[in-house]
Amino acid sequence: MTRRELLGLFGGAVASPAKEPPAAPVAIGKAADYDDDLTAVLSRLFDQLGGLGRLVKGKTVTVKLNLTGSPSLRFEGRPLGATHYVHPRLVGVVLNLLGRAGARRVRLVESCWASGGPLEEYLLDCGWPVRALAAAAPGVEFENTNNLGKGKRYARLKTPPGAWIYPAYDLNQAYVDTDVFISLAKLKNHQTCGVTLALKNCFGITPASIYGDDAGLDEPNENPTTGRAAVFHFGKRGPSRSAPQEFNPASNPDPGYRVPRIVAELVAARPVDLAVIDGIQTVTGGEGPWIQGLRFVQPRVLIAGLNPAATDAVAMAVMGYNPRAGRGTPPFHNCDNTLLLAETLGIGSADLKRIEVRGLPVAEVRFPFPS
Amino acid sequence: MLLALLALSAAAWIPARWSWNEAASLELLAGTPVNCLLVEQASREFAAAAAARGVTVLAVARPGAELESVIQHAIESRLAGVVLEGAFDPAARHLAGRLLAQAGLTLIELLPRAQLRLDSEAAVIGTAQGLWPGIRVFESGAIRAAPTGSPWVETNTGFLRHLRAATDAPIWIANLPPAKTVVPVERYLGAIADAAIAGARWVVALDGELERRLAARDPKALAAWKRIAAHLKFYEDHAEWRSWKPAGQLAIIQDEQSGALLGGGIVDMIAARHVPVRVVPRQRLNAEALRGARLALNVDPASLSDSDKEVLRSFTRGGGTLLSGPPGWKFPMPDADRISLDEAQLDRLTEIWREVNSLIGRRNLGARLFNVSGMLSNLLARPDGRQAVLHLVNYTSYPAENITVHLAANYSRALLLRPEEPSRELALYRIEEGVGVEIDRISSCAALLLDWKQ
Repeated sequence: MTRRELLGLFGGAVASPAKEPPAAPVAIGKAADYDDDLTAVLSRLFDQLGGLGRLVKGKTVTVKLNLTGSPSLRFEGRPLGATHYVHPRLVGVVLNLLGRAGARRVRLVESCWASGGPLEEYLLDCGWPVRALAAAAPGVEFENTNNLGKGKRYARLKTPPGAWIYPAYDLNQAYVDTDVFISLAKLKNHQTCGVTLALKNCFGITPASIYGDDAGLDEPNENPTTGRAAVFHFGKRGPSRSAPQEFNPASNPDPGYRVPRIVAELVAARPVDLAVIDGIQTVTGGEGPWIQGLRFVQPRVLIAGLNPAATDAVAMAVMGYNPRAGRGTPPFHNCDNTLLLAETLGIGSADLKRIEVRGLPVAEVRFPFPS
Repeated sequence: MLLALLALSAAAWIPARWSWNEAASLELLAGTPVNCLLVEQASREFAAAAAARGVTVLAVARPGAELESVIQHAIESRLAGVVLEGAFDPAARHLAGRLLAQAGLTLIELLPRAQLRLDSEAAVIGTAQGLWPGIRVFESGAIRAAPTGSPWVETNTGFLRHLRAATDAPIWIANLPPAKTVVPVERYLGAIADAAIAGARWVVALDGELERRLAARDPKALAAWKRIAAHLKFYEDHAEWRSWKPAGQLAIIQDEQSGALLGGGIVDMIAARHVPVRVVPRQRLNAEALRGARLALNVDPASLSDSDKEVLRSFTRGGGTLLSGPPGWKFPMPDADRISLDEAQLDRLTEIWREVNSLIGRRNLGARLFNVSGMLSNLLARPDGRQAVLHLVNYTSYPAENITVHLAANYSRALLLRPEEPSRELALYRIEEGVGVEIDRISSCAALLLDWKQ
């Protein structure tokens, strides 16, 4: 057993960082539905965080969307944005506010499920108003980061000391060719990781061309048609040899061990500057319609923060969970706590006592998710 | 001459199975386009009452019936003809044909798919082996996914497209609602549209519960019947679309021996990806059939004659791309009772899809559709090429919204036609390969009527 694995057995309860991880403020607002004045609600949240202009003026901004699974899979026939995807109207408002705040270029990104085609076409398949989104701010671009996309080569992002699974990840250039990185996530559960929030959303920055089940053995497969379960969840095979391989390919194959760590490593390698969590309408019980027991709910909440771990901690509190819960405790029934792992890597604090909540208090918006 | 006249009249018949034999039941036909009833038993009075309404009555006979007796009864009751539904032996079919012809009555055969003869001079080419269209759902409630990754749509359209391309006769597809099931009205609307977009007519068949409630004139049942009628009328109002030709730039060359009569085969698989595909029956393979096509899939190269091969050589010399299938692409003729692929064949279909998909990629072969999961489409062009129609059918139980269509031609006008709703002109916008158009909502089905730029 390697030292990394030994530490891993204890989840986030070990390997405390040398100094306390950052704990930036988190703002909470309410919206009745997606027809509400989202511009006003989000503007208020961003102002409570110190203003968007300070972060994005004159900058290139990359917004990682949360589009989990194939757009052909709907839950109860509802629009994807009302269940397990971020809602296009919210995306439009974010784009508009970024434009108004002076962002020079805004790039929407996602590694589209089982597809290497243009993100614009994927969004059309989601029923999104692509032309309206393109016009919502100056310099709007779209990039499917499931392969090279418009880039010429992959960017290599190293994980910090203390990483468990990979020393570095090869990603689409969009993740380095940017000044600001935003994780625009959904408030929901996740079967493997307990919750899908701003941190887990970043699992999707990885290209299936390299980390997919049908990735090339030596070189990336630029036409991926699968997910990443064999490589990431189960470690049954490695990524394309062109990319850095696992520290220990024979390490613990439990997805509940691997995926939270991979998520934490990814966020450490590609830090999130702003986290926005869409909890206006969503689902409980899992991340998408392929999970049994899913339920449509309307928490009517929006959460934003400058630190993804802190933002997720507050979001978990809104969901009625203890953000410091350990493995075996809801919602981390069969997995380690991604937030604590992120804390271990110095990404941010999951300690509610250290996080200032601005706007509405947690108690006012608490919407218990299943235990 | 007589056959031609019979065919002419049969071409106008809009059929429905009718379980009632009281004249009062005919009141239900008021305001509907249904004008041809398939009945198990009909009295002379019923036939007369129907005739007074301009409605044709046909007697249905199934294997095991006393055919001569059925035909004699039809003659005495002054019915218009007899429908043989099922697998009759050749002698019985010959006898029925002879007796009915002598009496000046029409013979309609709803044959097993395997017995269809597409080059016959039958008044109607029909089968009672229709799939009941809709999204396939397992007992667990899970939705079966297609090789394309979309929910799998049970459809007759692939089979019917082949029939439409192989014969000019009217085509009837008959089936029965799932047993012991109260069928939501939307499923009936899907069955109507599923046949109509491929140029065929669905033989209306209602579930027992709906029939019972209709007989009692239950308002909700009458409302459902009104919707069914509106959908029938929608396609009958545009009967000319049946003669329009597939406008897709992907041609698939197949025949009855290579799997064309099976449901859920290669054509259905490609159509599920909303790639406009034109079926070219091997017997009708010529340069004209491939005009405008950019890609051709040859399902069974071994079946081609020398002249067929020359047609394909000319196609490739002219810049077309030809993909010839290995022997595994050919699916054998179905058994009498089987009309769709078995599990092993479905696995092969997945492999075929990978190859086809790698060939097609993101090419626009007439139209590309977005956000159309659980839907099927068919792109047809008027023979003079001045108009096209894009049929859309929604098989899900919820309205389809925010659909985008990218058309690979410079159409100048798009008119959205939907049953039960007024038509509406849609704005077109320029895209790289032609024009784009957005459709806000489709409940059951729609047709996008496109005018070619002058």
